[in-house]
This record gives sequence, structure tokens and C-alpha cells, in this order.
Amino acid sequence: MPLDTSTYNLALLRVDGRRWNELRDQRGQMGVQPSADGSAYLQMGNTKIQAIVAGPNERDASKTNSSASTAATAGGLGATVAVGITVAPFATVDRKRRGRNDKRLQEMQTTLAAALAAAVQGQAYGPRSTIHVSLHVLSQDGSLLAALVNAASLALVDAGVPMTDYLVACTAGSTSSYAAADEAADPLLDLNTQEEQELPFLTLATLGASDKVVAMVCESRVQLARLEGMMATAADGCKGVRDFLDRVVREKGEIMVQEGAVGRGEVVSSMDLD
Amino acid sequence: MTSLKRSLESDPDSANFSSKVYVRSTKSGKVQKIVREVYLRQDIPCSSKLCMKCRNTAPANAVGVVNPFVLSDKPAGTKEYPQGHYLVPDTNALLNAMDLFEQSTAFYDVIILQTVLEELRNRSLPLYNRLIGLTKSEDKRFYVFFNEFRLETYVAREQGESINDRNDRAVRRAVQWYNSHLAQTKGNKLPTVVMLTDDRGNIEKAQAENTPATRLRDYVSGLENGERLLDMIAESQEKGISRDKKAADFLYPEHFSLSKMMTGVKNGMLHQGIFNVSPYNYLEGSIKVPAFPKALLVLGRDNINRAVDGDVVVVEVLPKDQWKEPSTKIIEEEAVTKNENADGDEGGDLVTEKERRALQEEVKKTHSTSTEGRAQPTAKVVGVIKRNWRQYVGHVDQSSVSQSAKQGRKQESVFLIPMDKKIPKIRIRTRQAGELLGKRILVTIDSWDRDSRHPTGHFVRSLGELETKAAETEALLLEYDVQYRPFPKTVLDCLPKEGHNWTVPASTDDPGWRGREDLRPLLICSIDPVGCQDIDDALHARPLPNGNYEVGVHIADVSHFVKPSNAMDHEASIRGTTVYLVDKRIDMLPMLLGTDLCSLKPYVERYAFSTLWEINPSADIVNVRFTKSVIKSREAFSYEQAQLRIDDASQQDELTQGMRTLLMLSKKLKQKRMDAGALSLSSPEVKVQMESETSDPIDVKTKELLDTNSLVEEFMLLANISVADKIYQSFPQTAILRRHGAPPKTNFDELSNQLKIKRGLELRVDSSRALADSLDACTDPKEPFFNTLIRIMATRCMMSAEYFCAGTQAYPEFRHYGLASEIYTHFTSPIRRYADLVAHRQLAAAIDYEPMHPAVRSRGKLEAVCKNINVRHRNAQLAGRASIAYYVGQALKGRVADEEGFVMKIFSNGFVVLVPRFGIESVIRLRDLAEPEPESVFDAENYVLKTSGSRDLSVELFQKVIVRISDAKDEATGKRGAKMELVKVIN
Repeated sequence: MPLDTSTYNLALLRVDGRRWNELRDQRGQMGVQPSADGSAYLQMGNTKIQAIVAGPNERDASKTNSSASTAATAGGLGATVAVGITVAPFATVDRKRRGRNDKRLQEMQTTLAAALAAAVQGQAYGPRSTIHVSLHVLSQDGSLLAALVNAASLALVDAGVPMTDYLVACTAGSTSSYAAADEAADPLLDLNTQEEQELPFLTLATLGASDKVVAMVCESRVQLARLEGMMATAADGCKGVRDFLDRVVREKGEIMVQEGAVGRGEVVSSMDLD
Repeated sequence: MTSLKRSLESDPDSANFSSKVYVRSTKSGKVQKIVREVYLRQDIPCSSKLCMKCRNTAPANAVGVVNPFVLSDKPAGTKEYPQGHYLVPDTNALLNAMDLFEQSTAFYDVIILQTVLEELRNRSLPLYNRLIGLTKSEDKRFYVFFNEFRLETYVAREQGESINDRNDRAVRRAVQWYNSHLAQTKGNKLPTVVMLTDDRGNIEKAQAENTPATRLRDYVSGLENGERLLDMIAESQEKGISRDKKAADFLYPEHFSLSKMMTGVKNGMLHQGIFNVSPYNYLEGSIKVPAFPKALLVLGRDNINRAVDGDVVVVEVLPKDQWKEPSTKIIEEEAVTKNENADGDEGGDLVTEKERRALQEEVKKTHSTSTEGRAQPTAKVVGVIKRNWRQYVGHVDQSSVSQSAKQGRKQESVFLIPMDKKIPKIRIRTRQAGELLGKRILVTIDSWDRDSRHPTGHFVRSLGELETKAAETEALLLEYDVQYRPFPKTVLDCLPKEGHNWTVPASTDDPGWRGREDLRPLLICSIDPVGCQDIDDALHARPLPNGNYEVGVHIADVSHFVKPSNAMDHEASIRGTTVYLVDKRIDMLPMLLGTDLCSLKPYVERYAFSTLWEINPSADIVNVRFTKSVIKSREAFSYEQAQLRIDDASQQDELTQGMRTLLMLSKKLKQKRMDAGALSLSSPEVKVQMESETSDPIDVKTKELLDTNSLVEEFMLLANISVADKIYQSFPQTAILRRHGAPPKTNFDELSNQLKIKRGLELRVDSSRALADSLDACTDPKEPFFNTLIRIMATRCMMSAEYFCAGTQAYPEFRHYGLASEIYTHFTSPIRRYADLVAHRQLAAAIDYEPMHPAVRSRGKLEAVCKNINVRHRNAQLAGRASIAYYVGQALKGRVADEEGFVMKIFSNGFVVLVPRFGIESVIRLRDLAEPEPESVFDAENYVLKTSGSRDLSVELFQKVIVRISDAKDEATGKRGAKMELVKVIN
């Protein structure tokens, strides 16, 4: 059994050997499901997400806001974004099946739908159209909501849905628990499961590199004085994630150009490939 | 179709990642596979002050502060490593000899590897905590090197390699890296990094790889005063080598496996509880389990099966034909096993001949008694859930030391006889047996194997000569786990900077005055024992125009100075209470606060927390309010002075009038309390008078109680109750309260039976009121002390009061049985009790003076605090009593006195006498009565012991006797104490 988060102060190292302001290893790929309109695979540490985008389609009135997905309308009278999350039974340490009515999942769906709706330029489509985003959690190791946001963002780009910027998210925590009231606590970036269980943390979603906060979720008790530091850290993390997503998109673009899927001339005008 | 799979090798960063996979099984038996990421890096510093390279890459925390480098640039050396050395202990070295690493003479500049830290945490959490404590101490220079996260020192487990081998390899790799890393620095006196281990295989491998390594034992013997240190290495490792010598015969039955015990407890076949040893008979233990109202008896060495007093054990109830009465015999380990040889072979019978005989008599007696119902269920210990071993103080049994050891340096086994009679003898191996004789020493128990009659332990340190004041006081403090070290600097840093010059700010605009009421004009005074320096409380009373009185209790505002969760608060919460010994006080808070800034000294202004009542002349509360305030005490009285002043009719000033009002009201309050059924209990309390110059005890006096004592007490009770109400209203989940459970009726069975048979008196225990009344009726016209004696005995049947968090009990359980109050807390002594400090903070939040600090709001935290202070409170009481007992013994030194005493317990081979004059009780055994031991007949039903032969006597319970008290050293415990001889029995 390795050490716990209380040893941070001994050498300023976290349980997995990171410093306070380091993101975990991230990997991403677009177009992993060619039959879908848009798809992406994203890995933040051991949290692994597959995102599939279908649509925009004509809205099926009977299906919106069922327990399978939660929808939010983007851009005033524009398209609706519907989000569905499934967690694979093998995603956690204890194999367990999570039903569609899992309250935590539904809450995450609502948060995600609202956040994505804020980034998607829905007025490009009619008010009767819906964009379905299905998210599949293949493996879970902390920062789940943040990883879902990032994966959905990447899949929407792959689907060619217009967005104002990448919607990126990241978690931030604090090295000392709420009750410890330790004044010299460091903020932490991008928490894994163990850290999430032991320390207070929040998830922050921003629009691209700007500091525009689209969503913030904090379910643990944290001293008010530490909140600012945590938010600033999370915002920095979001910038890092945005750079990463951008890199993935550009790599994909380059491959598409090489493969001739897109004409070189068309691309250069809209996409700066240097 | 693209593939998701991407090989890690193609990634340039791949060398920097690794993952740790391990398997763990949960309590329910499920097996989980856990995967953790590991990020390998190169910026983990070596932390040596010699290294410039690491200094440049050293990491900073979020505010840019770099942890200072720890390891000295001029480390100490030995003959083998003249250049100096850094030590790298492996896990076993720490497991076996943590005491060594805590020494102040050696073991500086130690590198603790992450591998070792993790392993240690798995093996022993207490040791891990001690080690973390060491790494935080600045002068010991312990550095934790996270070798598993550094690229160069990370070691992947190879196929077929055991986890231990892998860890050993990781340690060796880290040592090699350190040596090569330090070699890069410029300088000619480079220290060597040395691995300390006791694993032979590991040493051999290290030598093959040319890694500096040494055996712990060899290293220690190379040190100065190495021999003293050698004893501190735990016993077990030596065994590791000699284990296979011969298959030992097992003396004790095997303990059940944990899962077997758990299943047993779950389905009700086995019972779990805390094992307690009888103070009169070391072969008799009892265990209270939730399933039965009465405690289960555990008799004999076989059944006790290596349980030590305080352990959490699991027992199995024995068949009914083995049920027995509790012993009526005094059996002392010393007398029975006196001649055992510590070095001798352990193969013999587990139960020695003498022990067997002692038990035999028991059985005979059980069969002869006619009353079947008196036999109690017995049980045997089948396993230990949690050992509650601590460090024990004792002395070496002289008889177990061989003559040659007194000169030579030969290692031999000796017995240590603990001061606490409930703890069995402990076998220790030492080379300095000769020197340890006649000293108080501290030891720990390492293990108790099936093949060993006694537990084995090792020497920790010597406290000094037996019977010297310093050694005995320290022994006492260690025995009761009292934190007596001076306050560390971090705590003292929390004190106000002005020190003794601190005063209440003159301007009322100062933030210190925020929300405070100015009560300086009130005529407030304090009443305390003579020479009291930490004055917690002060009082005032004045008539109101409407004929009622305003009464105020003003308590030192400690929470103003001790802010939650700082170092001082933390220290105080660990200490829990101030401990009062006869000649010494171990403070909970630093002196500056306790005796000056917080203490409500007369003639100066002080911050206080006031409770103000309006009380009508018949002592009913009209209303109550609480406020933070500033007061100025007019006078600090002692109880005697206050009494004199009240009694002196010529004193007619307002202050005295106020005190008279207080006295009048307190008498009415007391009457009300008594009517509600409050108990007046008793314990033999004495005071030791000291010579002022030499502080040698010269006399012992029983404590006198004046009206003023009860004056203060009544108002403190009232304040506590009012505060309890208030904080419970505001914080129904987290209020810190104090309860006193109603004792189970069975606790009084014996006493009420004794009273019925001996005196024809009835003890009713249905309610506290009934008990109080029937205790009042227990009098003997000829013997005024009889009532007190019964009260003392009744007190011992009670439960002890405890602190708790309101949310953990239902409201009816809040009741304080002894005080007959529905709700109670401690509020009035925040200088000396931590619970009061917590109550202050909660009350301050309840009156909206300040927001509630999270530490006072978290129930889990408060429960932990309650648990700790309950233990501390109890230990402080025991330590105080033990200190009095020691000084009574000293005061009696060289004197012989005939005193009256009372028989308070009777056994088949002796009886216990209480001498009220000195507040001491002692056992008089039959063999002490005459030589040879007289024949005796014991009538257990009528509590009469008749002797004949060499001395004819008839002793019965509650009887008055004259005893001759002289001082003598108790060979068993090494304590000097009163020895009693029976002079005559008074009929």
C-alpha cells in the first residue's frame, strides 16, 4: 500500500510523483469511430473516455430529457445539446454496473449539457435540431467530469460543430483537508482518485484560453481562503489542456491534408498549419 | 480503421512513466487490483548541503518556498567511514530498533527512502508515525528521499522476483546512486552513504555490488557507548537467526486467525472486549462484553493465553462445569513465580506446580460452597485483536541476574518487574544487567510467543536510581502517559509577543475589546486553594433593585489566546489536562498563559468569559446570559481566608456582603441538588505537607472541607449546567458535553450483599435519589467513619464520567448520574482542561461572538478529542493519586505509627485495610500475621476469616482494626510504601 496524500509536505511530491502544478499524462485521438459523425478518445492519466457525437439531427421530442440523456439548448433558439454518459462496469476497481438512473451521472449530464451548450454556436442550426453527445467512461481515475468535458469538446470538433472555442476543464485541489485548517496548503492540479478521496477539490471549465468560466463544480468542503488559489490553478490547468487539445486537432488536420482528405489550399486559409 | 492501441515505446516520454500495480484484499475478503500511475523525474534533490547541483533544480511549493536542505555538510563519521557518513536504514532496521534512531547521541543525517517508508507503514503504523515525527525534528536531520519517483533510482520488479527482494534492490540502487551522485560534487571530504540492514542476503548482495553496507549491530557496536545502545535493538531479530535451532514446545494454545475470530464474533459464538487483570490476583482477569450484563472471568495462565492488561481480545465462554466464583485469594506473581529462571529452558510445564496448587484450592472451594448461583461464567482467550502494549516502567528482578553479570559484559536474560502489578514480568536480554540493578528502567514488550512463558521485550532507557525523586516522578509520568516534555518552540511562538507585559488594551476601540462588556466596576473576587497560581474562575454577586440578585461567574478567557488548530492548540489537545502531582504541576498550556495572562489575578484587568444570572432569593434562576468581558478581580482569597472574612461580623464592606450572598445562595443550590438526588461520594483524600525549603514531605493531613469550598463548587456546577444547555441548543450535534452513566445494578451486588449480611442495611440502587438516601442511612452510631467508608466503596462501583459529543448519544443518555443533572459540561477550568476550552469556543459561537471554527464543528474531530481527553483525564487522576501515595510513603519514612483502620475487602488468605488518616490501603496477608502462617477458615458467605494456630484472630468485613504502619520497600514493585501490621482487632 503506497503512502497517502499527507506525505506531500515531506518533499513536495504527490502520491504519483507529480509536483503541485503538473497535469497528468494526456493522450487524445480524433475520429476513432469512423461511422459516427464525430468521435474522440481521450486519456487523462488513467481516466479514459470515448466520446461519440451524432447529429445535428431533427429533434425527437419523445427522447429529449429521458434518463438516458439530458439536453440543454445552445445559443438562444438554436440547436439542443443532449448528453448521455455510460460508465463501463470495468471502469472502477470494484466491478459494478451503474444504471441509467444513477443520480450522480444524471447530475454530470446536466452540468455537461449546460456547459457544452454555452460553447456550441447553436444558432447555426434550427431550433428543432439536436446534437447528441454520448460519452463512455472506459476507465476511471479521478477528474472524471473534466475528462468528459474535454473528450466531448474534441468529439464536437471532429464532428465539425461550430464552437466559439474549445471547452476545456480541469480539477484543482488543496494539499490539506478541510478540517486540518493548515494555512500553508498548496493547491494541486488535476487530481487522481486517491487525491479526490482524501482532499477537497473542484472542477473548473473555461472557454479556451480565456478566463471565462463556463462551469464550476465543488462538492467538498474547502476553506474559503484557499478557493481563489485553487481556481487560479485550475484555470492555468485549463490553458494546458487547451494547448493539448489544439495539438491533437492540428495533428489530425495534418494527417488529413497528407491523406488528401482536404485540399491543401482550402485548409491553409482557415487553419494555420505551421 | 485506426487502431486505438499505441505502443508506449514510440513515445519520447515513455521512460518517464511507469505504473504500479498491486493487489489488495478488502475486509470483506474481496481482492482488488489497484493501478497507480508513477511519474518519474529528475528534480528530486539529494538534500545534502554539499550538493550544488541539486540546489539549482530543487522544487518550490506554490508560494515559491524551497524546502531547506537537510543533510549536514559535515556528517559524523566512524572508524570505518572516517569521511563521515549518511545512513540509509532498511525497513527491518527501523522495525527492530526505532528506539535507537530516536537517540540523541547518535543517528544523525539519516536518509529514509520512500520504499522503506511505504513498507514500514504497512508493517506498523505507530512506528511509521514515530518516523514521520523524526523527519520533522530539525536537529535530527532525517530526510525522506522519494527514490521511487526519481528516474535513476526507480526499480521495476522483475519476473519471479519477490516484492521483498525488489525492495531490497531498490534500497541498494538508491544507495549506489547517492554515492555516485555525491562523488560528482567538488570537495575532498565526501561522506559515504551507508546502508544499514540486518538481512544477511542483502548485505552479501551489497558487497558483491560494491555498495557500502553494514549490519546494524556492527554499526552500533562501533559507536561510543555502543553497548548501551545495543540493548535497544529488538529481541526478535536475534531470534531470526536461532529460530531453526530446535522446534520449541509450545506452552500456550495458538491464537485463532483474525477471520476466524471475526466470524465467531459476528455469529455470537465468541465475544470481543478489553481484557482487565484483577489488581489482587494476576491469574484472574475479567472482560466485559456487550452480550452479558456481568463481566466474564478469565482464570489461569492457560485461559489468559498471553493477553496483557488492556489488550482487545476475543474470548470463548467455557462450559458451565468450569464456571467459578471470583477468587477470594490474593495471588501475587512475585510470590508464586519467584524462582523462575529467565535464561532457563522454557520447555517445562506452562502452569507451574505452585500456580497449579493455587488454582486447585480455588476449585475445591467452588465445589464446597452451597450457593450455586454465585459461580460466574468463565471464558478463555482465543485471540488478540489489538495489543495495547505501551512502554512499561519497572525494575530488574535482582534474583534473575546472575552473579557473573554484575561484573562481566555477558549478555543474559533478566526479568523486569513492572510497577503496574497487572502487567506480567517481562523478559529482556541485556549486557548491562549489573548496572541496571536498582534502577528504574523503561522497557517495551516486543512479542509474546507461544513457546515463552513470559513476554519478551527490550530495554529503552534508564530513569535513574530507585526511590530518587526525579526517577520516581518520571516513572509515574511515563506510566500514566503524561506528556511532560517542555513545550516546543512552535508552541511558544503562538504566545503573545508582549510576554508578561501584555495587558488589556487601554482603549476600548482596540479589536480585543470587540464584543466585550466592561465589567471592571463589578466587585469580583476569586476563591481558590492556598498558593493557587492558575486562577480559572472568579465570582461576584450584588443585589438588584427588584430584590433578586445578580450573580456572575467569570472564567479566564483562554480561547482568546489559544486559537483553534495552531500548534499550541494542538499541543493542548494532546495533553488534554494539567496534571497535578504533589510537588509538581505539568501544565496543559505554557506558564505565561496559565499563571499570568489568563489567570484571573487580583488587582489587574483580565479578559474573561462571563456567565451572568439573575437569581431570586430562593435560588431559582430568573434568567441567564453569557458574554465575553473585561474584569478586574478585587482580591484572590484562599478558602480559609474567605471563610474567615465571611464569618467575621465586623467586615461589612460590599465585597464581603457579596460573598455572604453567594454563600447563602450556594447553600440553597446545594439543597436543591441534593433533593434532586445528587450523590455525595467520597474518596480518601489527603494532603501532603512539605517542608518549604527542601520540599521534603513532613506530614500527611486529611483534607478539610469548608463552606467556601462548596460555595465555589456550587456556582461552578451552575455555570457548567447553564453553558451545557446553551451550547446544546445551538449545536445539537457537536456540543461537547459530559455525562455520567447510571451504573449497572450488578455493580452494587457485592456491596449491597455485604451490607445486608454484615449490618442488615439495605442499599437501594434504583435511582440516584434512592442510592443517595440509602447511603445516608448507612451509619453506625458508634463509628462515624463507617458512612464515609461505605461511600468510598460505593464510589468504586460507579462508572466514570466521560466527555462526549452531543450527536453521539440520545438526550436521555446525557444525564449526569452523580450530579443528578440532565445535561452537563465542563466550562469553568479552561486553563487546565481542554474540554473547557472547546466549550468556550462553542459558547462564543453560540452567542455570535465569533464564527465557529471548522475544527470545533467537525464531529469526527470532536469525537477523537473527547476520546483522548477522557483517557488523559483518567490518567491525570491516577498519576495524581500515585504521586500522593509515593509522598505518603516518603513522609512515613523512618516512622512507626499505630493507626485505626477498617477492613474493606476480605480474602481467604488475607484482607485489605484502609487507614483514613493517611488515605492508604494495603493488603495484610495471613503469612504476615504470624510465623508460621496460621491455619485459617474462611466463611465467604458471612465475610469472616478466622485464624487459629500460631495466632488466633477473627477478622470480618467493615471491622475496625488497629494497624502498625511503618515504611518498607515493596520488593515486588520497588516502590516505597506503607507496610501494615495488624496490632489488634477491635470488637
